[in-house]
Amino acid sequence: MRKRYWIIMPVLLAVVLGLLVVTQSDFAAGKEKFPALGPLGPVPVPTDNPMSPAKVELGKMLFFDNRLSGDASISCAGCHVPQVGWQDGSDICRGYPGTKHWRNCQTVVNSAYYNKLFWAGSSKSLEAQGETAARGAVAGNGERDMMEARLLQIPEYIKRFKEVFGTYRPQLKDAWRAIAAFERTLVQRDTPFDRYMKGDKRALSSKAQEGLALFKGKAECIQCHNGSFFTDEKYYNLGVPENPTFQNDHQHQITFRFEQYAKGAPEEIYRTTKTDLGLYYRMKRKEDMGKFRTPTLRYLTYTPPYMHNGVFWSLEEVIDFYNEGGGEDAIQALYGFSTKTDKLKPLKLTDKEKEALLAFLESLSGEEITMKPPKLPEYAVMK
Amino acid sequence: MRDDRRRLLQRLAVAAWVMVLMGSTAALGADTHPPLAPLPALKQPNPARVELGRYLFFDTRISGDGSISCATCHDPSKGWTDGLPLSKAYPGSEYFRNAKTVLNAVHANVLYWDGRLATDVFQTHVRDHITETHFMNMDGRLMQERIKQIPEYVKMFKEAWGAEPSFGKIRNSIRDFEKTLVSRNVPFDRFMKGDKRALSAKAKKGLALFKGKAGCVRCHNGAYLSDGKPYDLGVPANPDILNNPMRHFTMRSVFLALGVPGFEYLTEDVGYFTVSKVGADKGKFVTPTLREVSRTAPYMHNGMLNTLEEVIEFYNRGGGKSTNKTSVLKPLRLTAGEKAALVKFLKSLSGDEVIVSEPKLPEYQLIKNWLKVRN
Repeated sequence: MRKRYWIIMPVLLAVVLGLLVVTQSDFAAGKEKFPALGPLGPVPVPTDNPMSPAKVELGKMLFFDNRLSGDASISCAGCHVPQVGWQDGSDICRGYPGTKHWRNCQTVVNSAYYNKLFWAGSSKSLEAQGETAARGAVAGNGERDMMEARLLQIPEYIKRFKEVFGTYRPQLKDAWRAIAAFERTLVQRDTPFDRYMKGDKRALSSKAQEGLALFKGKAECIQCHNGSFFTDEKYYNLGVPENPTFQNDHQHQITFRFEQYAKGAPEEIYRTTKTDLGLYYRMKRKEDMGKFRTPTLRYLTYTPPYMHNGVFWSLEEVIDFYNEGGGEDAIQALYGFSTKTDKLKPLKLTDKEKEALLAFLESLSGEEITMKPPKLPEYAVMK
Repeated sequence: MRDDRRRLLQRLAVAAWVMVLMGSTAALGADTHPPLAPLPALKQPNPARVELGRYLFFDTRISGDGSISCATCHDPSKGWTDGLPLSKAYPGSEYFRNAKTVLNAVHANVLYWDGRLATDVFQTHVRDHITETHFMNMDGRLMQERIKQIPEYVKMFKEAWGAEPSFGKIRNSIRDFEKTLVSRNVPFDRFMKGDKRALSAKAKKGLALFKGKAGCVRCHNGAYLSDGKPYDLGVPANPDILNNPMRHFTMRSVFLALGVPGFEYLTEDVGYFTVSKVGADKGKFVTPTLREVSRTAPYMHNGMLNTLEEVIEFYNRGGGKSTNKTSVLKPLRLTAGEKAALVKFLKSLSGDEVIVSEPKLPEYQLIKNWLKVRN
């Protein structure tokens, strides 16, 4: 009996431990350790910028108003085009005249749910993002005093700002608040997925339902794309391939270097980096190099191309990328240490499984949200 | 004489002499300004830097959206101004003052019509022009990277400065170019250096009036023909500012940026008030140079006077009407002959035309071995 005890106990222990590992594993069927996927809740509204129809209407006008930029040729809608998923449909965003940007523009739809905006989380609110974009050298190139003086030359804006904010002359910071309020109306809570989660079991095809199970299980997407907003809002390096445009387009090379300088990269990094270092610019910690914020997957159908540098033009490519376990770590190649997340492993998905995942991802987008630009008021002579 | 009466008389005599002396020093005060003089020679800057500055002066890529260069408003063929009463500005704005000439600007003591910049560091003026919203609206860091993308510029910087292009060296190159934009072979300067035939008889008469009856020299003095001080002459307002919303809000944006209180209610250009914030300075503008004046019409901070004849007529009337009008101006009662002589003299302040041709600007190039080279 004693001899067997020494065999049985370790075996039992191994089995118990094995079971524990399996049941505690992130991918055990039905066992979720992540914030649950679910229908999108009501849009968060900060207490210092409450919503009102008049504010939203003013914000909509300003969103489309070119005069909130340097040379008055570009508005928010210039890069966040309603008919192009409220982004600009290119891999790297167009940028201000005479320049090009260096990252993919993100959609405005549902951006109200993010705690931080931009790929590296640089802005703490929609209000802050609006001003940052309008003033950016390769974005709006606007300057505060000029933009505010322009608002003051437009009687209809004076009237509306007074009505909404109670000011006797428009304050520029209120323009960003109005625009943010408008953006808080660009939300989508009634996708097929939302309807399914609220009880309509026919809202998702059986293929999409398979995809949902894979999303939470074998494909492991839920590790980062979780919660009702489908993002943990954390930062990861996935080994996304470089966009070859930086080797092929002189404007992109200019902007690439400018961004290193403008974001305060130390001298040696400015001189040597050939990859976007993402979160590093905010944190200045090596372990943050190459990390970007998990984006939402909602409204995805309308927002190709994908990733911070727009390298994937279709969701199929994205799925293939993850199926391979992500890509090579550019930080490893450049600096000799790795910051790539260990969450990615080859998935060994079958073609049918990939199709199911795709069907599920497509269920995260509802009807396209389009909008005609509003009529904008003119400057007036004011004596 | 009684003692007390003598003492009183003595005191009265002292008082009288004091008043006479004060009166005469006051009268002499009118002549305690720096004398008119030829332009001093400047140390010539490094020719490679001058050449680089010439290229940059004409290069629209040093403006935010790449649409304007220094030469856009400071056109060599228009006396290095733009020939307009009120200047252009960066797209999306229009300016509310007259563009001054770049010629001899390096000799100025104070810069801008409202005197908001001193000249001890001239490249600060260059920076202001490149980065200001209403001028060229350029982020200097982006400008640097644009210039670095042009191999010919990289080579020129290496030759001129021994370094790669940078924001500071771009400014210094333009400054060095501007150091060569100075009057040459000026008849008045030749006269002052001893060539008595450099001025015609009429011009000599004009010079005498300038220093005497017309009194111009009280403000237009020194080698630069400007005392660098602000005065309100009562120049009429240019209605094109308030009639053109683009000019109006551009003016307001500058006032807002410079912290002018109540800017939104101001309906006139307050000039030096933007610097001093003293009410009595509203409407004052800094004396400009008269060198090259025959080439830089129209005149005054708002271009309201079109010709030198109009300017002289304006002063002949004793200037215009305004709140803070300087007491220096009085009606002059000049005869037609005297006015003509003054014009002749003013024309003698222009030298040979400073002609600079626009260079063929180098193109952006792709950095082909991008992955291998250092940024």
